Amino acid sequence: MSTVEQTLIVPRTEASNVKTAANAAAPGTTTMRVQPVARALSPARAALRQFLRSPSGVAGAILLLALILATIFGPMLYPIDPLEIVGLPFSPPDADALLGTDYLGRDVLAGLIHGGRATMTVGAVAALITIVIGVSVGALSGFFGGWIDSLLVKISEFFQVLPPLLFAMVLVTLFGPRLTTITIAIGAVSWTSAARLTRAEFMRLRDLDFIKASRAAGAGNWHLIMRVVLPNALPPIIVSATLAIGVAILFEGGLSFLGLGDPNTMSWGLMIGQNRNYVLDAWWAVTFPGAAIFLAVLAVSLVGDGINDAVNPRLRRR
Amino acid sequence: MMLSKRSFLTGALGGMALAGLPSETWAQSAGSGGGTLVIGSSQVPRHFNGAVQSGIATALPSSQIFASPLRFDESWNPQPYLAKSWEIAADGLSVTLKLVDDAVFHDGKPVTSDDVAFSVMAIKENHPFKTMLAAVDKVETPDPKIAVIKLAHPHPALLLAMSPALMPILPKHIYGDGQDIKTHPANLKPIGSGPYKFTEYKQGDYYTLEKFDKFFIPGRPKLDKIVVRLISDPNALLVSTERGEIHAAPFIAGVRDIERLEKSQNLVVTDKGFTGIGALNWLAFNTRKKPLDDVRVRQAIAYAANRDFIVKKLMGGKAKPATGPIAPGSPLDEANVEQYKFDLEKARKLLDEAGLKPGADGMRVTLTIDYIPGADEQQRNVAEYLRSALKRVGLNLEVRAAPDFPTWAQRVSNYDFDMTMDNVYNWGDPVIGVDRTYLSSNIRKGIIWSNTQQYSNPKVDDILAKAAVETAPDKRKALYSEFQKIVVEDVPIYFINATPYYNAFAKGLGGLPTTIWGVASPLDELYWATPPKI
Repeated sequence: MSTVEQTLIVPRTEASNVKTAANAAAPGTTTMRVQPVARALSPARAALRQFLRSPSGVAGAILLLALILATIFGPMLYPIDPLEIVGLPFSPPDADALLGTDYLGRDVLAGLIHGGRATMTVGAVAALITIVIGVSVGALSGFFGGWIDSLLVKISEFFQVLPPLLFAMVLVTLFGPRLTTITIAIGAVSWTSAARLTRAEFMRLRDLDFIKASRAAGAGNWHLIMRVVLPNALPPIIVSATLAIGVAILFEGGLSFLGLGDPNTMSWGLMIGQNRNYVLDAWWAVTFPGAAIFLAVLAVSLVGDGINDAVNPRLRRR
Repeated sequence: MMLSKRSFLTGALGGMALAGLPSETWAQSAGSGGGTLVIGSSQVPRHFNGAVQSGIATALPSSQIFASPLRFDESWNPQPYLAKSWEIAADGLSVTLKLVDDAVFHDGKPVTSDDVAFSVMAIKENHPFKTMLAAVDKVETPDPKIAVIKLAHPHPALLLAMSPALMPILPKHIYGDGQDIKTHPANLKPIGSGPYKFTEYKQGDYYTLEKFDKFFIPGRPKLDKIVVRLISDPNALLVSTERGEIHAAPFIAGVRDIERLEKSQNLVVTDKGFTGIGALNWLAFNTRKKPLDDVRVRQAIAYAANRDFIVKKLMGGKAKPATGPIAPGSPLDEANVEQYKFDLEKARKLLDEAGLKPGADGMRVTLTIDYIPGADEQQRNVAEYLRSALKRVGLNLEVRAAPDFPTWAQRVSNYDFDMTMDNVYNWGDPVIGVDRTYLSSNIRKGIIWSNTQQYSNPKVDDILAKAAVETAPDKRKALYSEFQKIVVEDVPIYFINATPYYNAFAKGLGGLPTTIWGVASPLDELYWATPPKI
């Protein structure tokens, strides 16, 4: 553990904690650690500045923002029902349907715009579930250690050895292919990497002096986890959360491709899954949602990389 | 001399194309005149005994291995097969079969009336089609070559029930050993009296049939050998067929697949050979569940669905429209029934009358629709189309995807559905495959393809009972016409189309199986006019 890293982490600790710690602990050790606080009061702004310096991260952010805006406002601007049959099956792109129609005669552009909302929601919510479960498990297990740790590690190992796509298929098959089930299934199978990451961060942080100081100052476990350790462990978690969105979008596409998509809600994955048999008859019905998924995953990955660069101190010093 | 040399080459090269098959099975096909036919099928048979198992997977090999009393031509006329003649008594209560003299089983023992009697009773006992031989009381055997089937009441469906796929004549000396016929070891190593004898089965991979030298029709079969390769991946099956590694691909049902094979220079693609099976694709209603218990709601749905669009656009014109419970192509099909021509206004009016008023959002009620998983074009796509179509008259459809066939069958047979797409076979005579869907006595919970609509109309029950025993063909046809009109009027089912089944054959083949039973009938006339050059 390099000292550079430690000093950089400390500023994220709440000012009040530091003060309490400073009052309680031996002044010599704390003053050394308090000093950097004055130097960089807003690490978030520093990170933002760093983020803006990475062109790929900015490009990703712009792309992601455009996609989010399109899925929020698109359906209002293009209010054609994506499940409605509006023309003949397999009509190529023309003035009536800008991106053509699929095997039933449904508008592909409407599917892209309305389906994007479902896909992005699945991605975001599933990523949220992943992070909530993963961080909780990882935090408890990393912070407390001992039998809690072994138990939780056993549980997460159980989930790790199951092939995630197969496990998600089982869940969706059991509870029926609905968007909520699919979202929960994706979250339920992909939380383990977030848990491992959080656990490692917590194990690294929990024995550091400033944590000990907080504890000595009388902070309870809950307070320590939520307000002291977690904020310091956050940067890698944020990166992994961003990437989890991309993974969840791909997952939804994969499940739909295997015929386990929700047939009552249009999504990009469903479009690909249902139209893939007809790719030789109507390339447009598969290609456009495929490109949309590609762009969305690319965007979140670029943003994730950008954030990683911005919050990773070793890279920042380069 | 020239010819045999050429066939030898064909046989040998054909063998090489089929990597993975033991080479010695190919040596035998060389030399003699007929050559080898490779059939590709995605249907894996549980076993080869059609006496106790329905379905195409078993019917294809069973009809090659076992002979049956009768066979049928392209226009539903019975033809002599194991029975050189048959005679129905004036009172309709007995049918006398005279068997051909020189028929023997593949193990050399002669086929006698004892075998016929044994088989008929075994089929009556064990075959899933209970109504098929329910009328049979007993079979008398006054002479080794004469069998008299005694009936409790006249049973005109018996003739079609004596088809190759439905009445394989089993050797009594093998199956009569007291073991349960459904699980008899001989089902996987069958011995019959048909044109081809069974040689080898590699579970889930392939099975081989070889010419039976002592087949009772002289000069047949014309082929030396049939190899049936079981290929579960439909795409691999198509590619192999296009490349000529497979000479016959029966039961192709996908419109895109059919169109793709039709483009191939080396194939003949035909929809002949499926009228006997009579597969129908339809939308079934749960007629005891609100609001579908109201016939006006069901009629409204029929008017709101555009059969023309489904058949011509969704199925690319490859499927024939079906308007009633008896498949088009059957002599009993009544075309003059209510057509439910696409009419949204009429549909809305009927829904209004039934008391389903549109709510603030224009929607009247939400219903679910199920479909058989796996058959996308015939089932899922139509269900999705209906969701869009019925929305226009204010019916909200929720498509319920089932992960697998058992889940779907469980839902439907336990009446846990509003409507479902379904695919049901006629199997020749209405008594065999049609009655089961409409008889109120066949409302049997938990059994798929019984009357899962829970449709009950005493008049229909009555007509079907009469038609089942009516021996005069024109009177029988009149009864079935009336039945079809009533059922279409009552809409327990909205009939959509005949499932577009097609067979693809290599161009060099002659004597194609185009009878009503197609490949579920002996392939003894099939021959290589121009053997394949690979």
